[in-house]
Amino acid sequence: MRAVRDGDLTRMGVLFERHHRPLFDFLYRMTGDRGAAEDLVQDVFVRMLRYRATYRDDGRFETWMFRIARNVRADHYRKHGAAIYVPDDDMDWASSEPGPGHLLERARDMARLKRALQTLREDRRELIVMVRYQGLTHEQVGAILGVDAGTVKVRFHRALKELRDAFSRVPEGE
Amino acid sequence: MQCDDLGPEMLEYLAGTLPDDRLAEIRAHLAQCQACRDEVDATAELWHELGAASAPRPESARMRARFDAALQGYIDGQAESRVVSLAAVRRPAAQWQPWLQLCGAAALLIIGVGLGRFVTVPPAQSNPEIALLREELRDTRQMVTLSLLQQQSASERLKGVTTSSQLEQPGTEVVSALLDTLKRDPNVNVRLASVDALRRFSGREAVRKGVVEALPQQESPLVQIAMVDFILEAAGPDAKGVLQRLAEDMMLNQAVRARAERGLKQVGL
Repeated sequence: MRAVRDGDLTRMGVLFERHHRPLFDFLYRMTGDRGAAEDLVQDVFVRMLRYRATYRDDGRFETWMFRIARNVRADHYRKHGAAIYVPDDDMDWASSEPGPGHLLERARDMARLKRALQTLREDRRELIVMVRYQGLTHEQVGAILGVDAGTVKVRFHRALKELRDAFSRVPEGE
Repeated sequence: MQCDDLGPEMLEYLAGTLPDDRLAEIRAHLAQCQACRDEVDATAELWHELGAASAPRPESARMRARFDAALQGYIDGQAESRVVSLAAVRRPAAQWQPWLQLCGAAALLIIGVGLGRFVTVPPAQSNPEIALLREELRDTRQMVTLSLLQQQSASERLKGVTTSSQLEQPGTEVVSALLDTLKRDPNVNVRLASVDALRRFSGREAVRKGVVEALPQQESPLVQIAMVDFILEAAGPDAKGVLQRLAEDMMLNQAVRARAERGLKQVGL
């Protein structure tokens, strides 16, 4: 990113190759819409180009990138209304294929978990997505959200607890 | 230590990343608090279940093409804005330029397709070259994967594990590197991802054996649970012996033993 900031815009292609997948994953899990997630990834990279001068060496690149991604997503919601998280059918719930007893039972649990995730507040879901799926540390998430790591730990624990509560409220037959 | 203190540190406890003195305090508390033990088990279970939900893969080639076009447009726009400031008056013909370019591009496309049909080399002759190119591409991707798995940053290593799952026919080196990552990587999420990546190779005896051998060395119950699931899925009823040993191993975390017991019920023991 330093090279891009210093004028070598062609290096953006390398950054795109490295980071478009985690960005897509984050935006897909937040919007539940594959097409929107792909569009938003493009927007994130275009904003990186426009605001490249704001990149500082002292911060990790991922932190800066996810801050931009959150802003892009917020603007998207402002334009298109708040997110209604309804994951596409192509979300791969690893063991959701029909099969013998335990696989079927697992598939049902997965479907319930999916419903439970949908009911979470967006900021809670975002924390779970960043920590569980993006592998970001509490410190990194804190840097993205502008809070300290201790606050992230407390909020994350709360988010997981809410998810568990929501999961237990989803009827087993669903 | 109070029950409320455990919550924010639970994930680090499960990941095995807490300092020894804090770990000892939590273990002492858990030994006498059933409610917290239940809480830990439930969190471990939930964390593991969350891992089973993978998002679809992006249409990378299409997205890259779109981005390249946007990037080129941005670069051209920057160059143009510098020129425009020097030549304020636009040439009349310039307004037709995009249409001319579009027509030119369309004409070239048609000519290209037409020529392609005439000069296409028979498959028998072109195959060796294409096969060679594919092999080179696969080697390069493997090298990138192996290199990413060696990086210091956990997110880069995570990327390496993800990249490995995109290789069509990864070589033994990649599979060995994934097993090595599972055994030695300091980051829990990277180890968890490597268990998922290894699922593709669960048909290989060496992989199944590697996972079984690596299980007792794991410090994180989260990874251990994922590995128990792997063993169960890979070996089915043949996993009985391993699961039995795990269910009876009092050195293992309670949640891991419970998972092994559940596995035994699933395979009908």
